[in-house]
Amino acid sequence: MNILVINSGSSSLKYQLYNMTDESVLAKGLVERIGMDSSILNHKPTGKAEVTEVSEILEHNTAIRKVLACLTDKEHGVIESIKEIDAVGHRVVHGGEFFKSSALVDADAKTKIRQLFDLAPLHNPAAMMGITASEVNMPGVPQVVVFDTAFHQTMPEKAYMYAIPRVLYNKYKVRRYGAHGTSHDFVSKAAAEYLERPLEDLKIITCHIGNGGSVTAVQGGVSVDTSMGMTPLEGLMMGTRSGDLDPAIVPYVMNKEELSVGEVNSMLNKHSGLLAISGVSSDMRDIIDGMEKGEPNSTLAFEMYEYRLRKYIGSYTAAMNGVDAIVFTAGVGENASLLREKLLNNLTFLGIELDAEANKVRSGDPRRISTEDSKVQVLVVPTNEELVIARDTHRIVQGING
Amino acid sequence: MNFKKIGVIGGGTMGQGIAEMLAAKGLDVLLVEKTAEKLDYSYEMIETSLDKQLEKWAITQAEKKLILSRIQKVTHFAELSSCDMVIETIVEDLEEKKKILNQLDQVCPNHIILASNTSTLSLTELASSTMYPERVIGMHFIYPVAKVDLVEIVRGLKTSDATFEDTKSFVDEIVEKKGVMIYESPGFVTSRLICLFINEAMHVLQEGVASAQDIDDAMRIGYQFQYGPLEMADRFGLDSVLAALENMFREYGELKYRPSTILKKMVRAGQLGMKSGEGFFKYDKDGDRV
Repeated sequence: MNILVINSGSSSLKYQLYNMTDESVLAKGLVERIGMDSSILNHKPTGKAEVTEVSEILEHNTAIRKVLACLTDKEHGVIESIKEIDAVGHRVVHGGEFFKSSALVDADAKTKIRQLFDLAPLHNPAAMMGITASEVNMPGVPQVVVFDTAFHQTMPEKAYMYAIPRVLYNKYKVRRYGAHGTSHDFVSKAAAEYLERPLEDLKIITCHIGNGGSVTAVQGGVSVDTSMGMTPLEGLMMGTRSGDLDPAIVPYVMNKEELSVGEVNSMLNKHSGLLAISGVSSDMRDIIDGMEKGEPNSTLAFEMYEYRLRKYIGSYTAAMNGVDAIVFTAGVGENASLLREKLLNNLTFLGIELDAEANKVRSGDPRRISTEDSKVQVLVVPTNEELVIARDTHRIVQGING
Repeated sequence: MNFKKIGVIGGGTMGQGIAEMLAAKGLDVLLVEKTAEKLDYSYEMIETSLDKQLEKWAITQAEKKLILSRIQKVTHFAELSSCDMVIETIVEDLEEKKKILNQLDQVCPNHIILASNTSTLSLTELASSTMYPERVIGMHFIYPVAKVDLVEIVRGLKTSDATFEDTKSFVDEIVEKKGVMIYESPGFVTSRLICLFINEAMHVLQEGVASAQDIDDAMRIGYQFQYGPLEMADRFGLDSVLAALENMFREYGELKYRPSTILKKMVRAGQLGMKSGEGFFKYDKDGDRV
């Protein structure tokens, strides 16, 4: 069975085609900068030459059409026709309290995902565009949605409730849901395997930091707290999102600048974070470049980012009354060795000993970046949300077929 | 009915607002003006409006680009034949509008809805200029289009149920605004009530009961309007307010619709409100009060 996994972000679309008989990847790729005139499609067919195409891709429908064209292309394709795709698995950020696990896409599921647009304004609409585009281009192929919130459904009430009138939870389900669940789940399991210790005995803090970012306290294999809240806006400072702030700032600024609810939402989600502080970019690579050139705004952006992440690690250490391992993953977590170095050198009170050389190694494999004797083990584990999605899709589609 | 591509005829204030709003909702828009110059001007105004939203953090660069890319400039009616709906929003002139609808009637397949963004004119009369009056309907948007989530859906005598249902679902589900159903009547609901409100405010001003600023503050703060009645009139355009009142005065024949003399005087003097820089208040070229 071949399964196409699609991960639609607001301006990007990642895909992987799996052959589930051996979980091998037939092809994978990424469409970046959707919505701009120089969108980049990078297609990597396994065992064949990589293809990069720059063109104007203004929305997800076009992106998926191009991806399917690449997959079935005579030269760099890996399948004869679209018919060889047996199922599609989508990553969806927000499942609310509707979805405690992955689900087959039907009219009901789509309605529920739409109802959750308010809660994930950057991501659920993008995922929906991916689902619609797949339906249009691959009619009749079963689709499965895998939710980022499902893993965090184990959080205790004291972690997911907000200290505001309870009626808001009763009426609107205002509570913490968290995000990046598939990733936190995957890397915490992989960390336990790497350390060759039973997951049940471990207190792990997983830092999934990419353009969006969240930290999770994983105790005995389940999520007990996570930094993203009801929406992906809470918690860490991110590429374009503010993360934690005094909630009173919102009405204050709305009043002063005469902003509508939509405008203030857009300000906090798309015009804040690294982009707002640095004034140049939402991308950590650009921020580090700027900092190395001595640019004060980039330097401040970097320092704030590191400081805020560090505070969360401290807080979750307290939440679990200890920590055995810290795991870094996702774009920034896997690649920004400078960030990890600064951060870990500020956490020596936990008994962390950084292995400076190991920290600099770039690799696609799980690796240790602390010394072996470090009281807290620190790992970099490349995340593989796609594989988790492919496995879930496989399981659910097999269920309906048999 | 599957709405993907919408024609918008007329690139004035309302046409710009409607085209921009539809494009922001993901629809392809064909914007029509008489000349290439007028079209370029309308397009630039839409760009300016998007820039203002960008400044207010409402959208991003990429979103601005995407919205603009969905708006296509058109000067020939023939190109509208591929549209799933056409909305005309030219000047509030019965004969002009009839001419446009008649032309559309010939270009668009006969199941395509032809909507008019008239605020006061008779839909039945507009529809009489077409061979298929059952597909003609009123879709009255309110300025500023992007911010006001209400559309008056106006049925002429011959507007079919199917046309109404399709328009209603277009407004509710695609445009995501509240559509209210209105049977044809001069001024419908919104223009009829708001013009009387504005006219009365002008009488109050003329009688020297209070200053323009105090009248506006009283109503704006006291009854939670975004703008007071006089600033509202400035923003609609005093000529438009006058035209609407005169039309209702003619249609109903009741004195309460008679436009106040101060309104007539100001329009004659070319003080049309925000668009001319001066009305009851003064405005800069971005439309902000000075």
